[in-house]
Amino acid sequence: MSAFVKPQTPAAWAILGLAVVIVLLGLPLAYMGAELVFLGGSWYYVIIGIAVTAAGVLMAMGRAMGAILYLAAVGVTWLWAFWEVGFDGWGLLPRVFGPTILAIAVLLCLPALRRMENAHSTSVREVA
Amino acid sequence: MSAKTPMLRTLLLGATIIAGTAGSVALAQVPPADQPPGNGNATVSPGTPTPPTDAFSAPSPNAPQSPGVNAANIPDGPPAEPSEATPMVDQVTANPAHDDWPGYGRDDKATRFSPLDQITPSNIGHLKRAFIYHTGSKPGPGQTNKWAAETTPIKVGDGLYMCSALNDMMRIDPATGKEVWHFHANEKYESIPYTAACKAVVYYTSSTVPEGEHCHHRILEATLDERLIEVDSEDGKVCEGFGWHGMVNLMKGMGESVPGFVAETAPPPIVNGAIITNQEILDGQRRWAPSGVIRGYDAETGRFLWAWDVNRPHEHGEPKEGEHYSRGTPNSWAAMIGDNALGLVYVPTGNSAADYYSAMRSPEENKVSSAVVAIDVKTGEPRWVFQTVHKDVWDYDIGSQPTLMDFTKPDGSTVPALIMPTKRGQTFVLDRRTGDPVLPVEERPAPSPGMVPGDTRSPTQPWSVGMPRLGFAPLKEADMWGMSPIDQLYCRLKYRRAHYVGEFTPPSIDKPWLEYPGYNGGSDWGSVAYDEKTGILIANWNNTPMYDQLVSRKKADKLGLMPVDDPNYKPGGGGAEGAGAMAETPYGIVVSPFWDEYTGMMCNRPPYGMITAIDMHTQKVLWQHPLGSARANGPFGLPTHLPLTIGTPNNGGPVITAGGLIFVAATTDNMIHAFDIHTGKEVWNDVLPGGGQATPMTYEYKGKQYVAIMAGGHHFMMTPVTDDLVVYALDNVN
Repeated sequence: MSAFVKPQTPAAWAILGLAVVIVLLGLPLAYMGAELVFLGGSWYYVIIGIAVTAAGVLMAMGRAMGAILYLAAVGVTWLWAFWEVGFDGWGLLPRVFGPTILAIAVLLCLPALRRMENAHSTSVREVA
Repeated sequence: MSAKTPMLRTLLLGATIIAGTAGSVALAQVPPADQPPGNGNATVSPGTPTPPTDAFSAPSPNAPQSPGVNAANIPDGPPAEPSEATPMVDQVTANPAHDDWPGYGRDDKATRFSPLDQITPSNIGHLKRAFIYHTGSKPGPGQTNKWAAETTPIKVGDGLYMCSALNDMMRIDPATGKEVWHFHANEKYESIPYTAACKAVVYYTSSTVPEGEHCHHRILEATLDERLIEVDSEDGKVCEGFGWHGMVNLMKGMGESVPGFVAETAPPPIVNGAIITNQEILDGQRRWAPSGVIRGYDAETGRFLWAWDVNRPHEHGEPKEGEHYSRGTPNSWAAMIGDNALGLVYVPTGNSAADYYSAMRSPEENKVSSAVVAIDVKTGEPRWVFQTVHKDVWDYDIGSQPTLMDFTKPDGSTVPALIMPTKRGQTFVLDRRTGDPVLPVEERPAPSPGMVPGDTRSPTQPWSVGMPRLGFAPLKEADMWGMSPIDQLYCRLKYRRAHYVGEFTPPSIDKPWLEYPGYNGGSDWGSVAYDEKTGILIANWNNTPMYDQLVSRKKADKLGLMPVDDPNYKPGGGGAEGAGAMAETPYGIVVSPFWDEYTGMMCNRPPYGMITAIDMHTQKVLWQHPLGSARANGPFGLPTHLPLTIGTPNNGGPVITAGGLIFVAATTDNMIHAFDIHTGKEVWNDVLPGGGQATPMTYEYKGKQYVAIMAGGHHFMMTPVTDDLVVYALDNVN
């Protein structure tokens, strides 16, 4: 478990909390999304569910790559949503609203994540 | 499934709260219902349905009626032979006075159009509450809420007349709301069927009692406990010359029954002196439920005239001693409409008993179910039949009252026509003389033979291709909705787990099937409004799919489904619109809204309710938009307070006025709305004290125009129940 960094600052605690939430959202998307594919439905959910879960795990490990991955997943989600329902407001609501709110939170965490990552890698190098 | 449900619920709760907080506008004012059991339900191999078990066997049709069925203990005379009605004088609905709204649909054509024009789109800002009248009928302590008054008052001269949800009748001062008289029907709670409702009373002018004498002008109603009652319009006292002290027992000849199994909620039309009665039979109970017989009674005396009994087609008299009207035949519960000129009554029919299984229906039943049947009011003989669904197993019984019109053909000739809205959202326009379609109807292929052994579906179904459809295209997976990706995904899974091949997807046993349109419509009992001068037709309708599954008898027993007249029946153990035993058939039925049962939101994307204006000259849509806001609905049953027009489920019809307005309540946002008929723009609304699941009406009295709406709420729509009749008028008119 050495990959997980024990949070030292409020920002780090917030990032961990956000990461846990993202994992909790990603897992049911992946699990139920797999069943949907099995039943002949859309592939979007299982793919995005795995990506989001991975993003959350990476963020929990203090990796900025996790945040980038989540933002990329939301970007893909927007494109997919437009492809599936066009510019219909009611149709877009469940697809992009919640994920985008989370994306804003992730975006706000990104500088802190970067700092943590730099500090971590610096300290690792110094030890080495 | 059961083991992972709590986890799923937690995840969904967490996810929806996190992901959907601020923007979650949604609704589903749909009731809690048992969920279809899903896969693995087919505990019997096809072809060998389990016979009904003894555990919940229903009483014999010949068993005596339970105490309370003949609620007023009206003595039954010997079985009557067919006879003809006392000739009728012209009634007030034939040519309504300018200021009046003398019948449920205002006039003999049920146009729901009023010539009043004091209130217009430009002065409607001054429309304010004039008074509220309390009918006195709402659930008492300890009583399950089964209320939905659905009442439209009528106004004739100096009187506003109405009935309460439990069939009290009253006359109210049209200007002040002060009660002039109150007739107590003394109806018992046990007599409430699925819903305590009374849509309207009927105004009748006698041909035998001279003007100025008691009961020259009468108020007639048909009750939940199966009585016809006539009272005098001036003092509210019963008309002694009618039936047994003013009452007729409609349970005569019906055979075994219990209170609440058979009921009347619609105003019975009077056609050439004959009161025509139909009755609601509680859905989903058993195959041999009481009869759907249509009967005629003399409006002057209450004397039996004739019966139209589907499986005794050539017998128009009352059943002989020890016999009863044929059981399980299609029941009709919608408001019917008469045609004095042609001597016909148009009966919108429903399904044979046991709605979702058709293998035990007779050929006679299959000809007349979910149809319009024109019956000769002299003899009780059907003149023509037009069927809107063949071998209905979707509860597509007709809820709407037909509206009559004169249809001008392209060659300039005029056809006496009938507009029949349906739950399917197909609106049929028929020639009243023959039942032939005036606008083209196509028989289109439908999924057949179906999934149930021995119960084949019709290979075709009728589509009214000449009229705009009050509905949308078949559901796709991408039409699933929610607040967040997770509950949307949950609905996509529900969609994929179900059997669905578009409209008329046949019932299935091994897994749920999607019923779309659902049984709330399209058009339900609200019916339509029609302005003869402009040719504009207004219809409000629903977009609410259902998620249903047939269950084996064994499973049905396990679910505790049993018919209402079973000695072991417990109230709440199966209702008209939820799961039903369908005893005496091989299967029970589980019916639920197509929703996310965790959030209580519908699975399909909004809108869930619409309003449409159609030009009947061209049969083109003039405008169409969602009806009802999200203010009173939301996830987990919480109101969002958002004034966004999302389009909610709606029950209750529209009204058109010559002032260029449409008034409609109906929606689950508990509002009454007014629209400019030409643009469709909402020009006024008001929040009602309860749900406005009723059709409004308008009248003028002493130079002032009023708009009345019964805000009685609706238990099934989960809107607040009150006993308030809310009446509006312009505050700048004296």
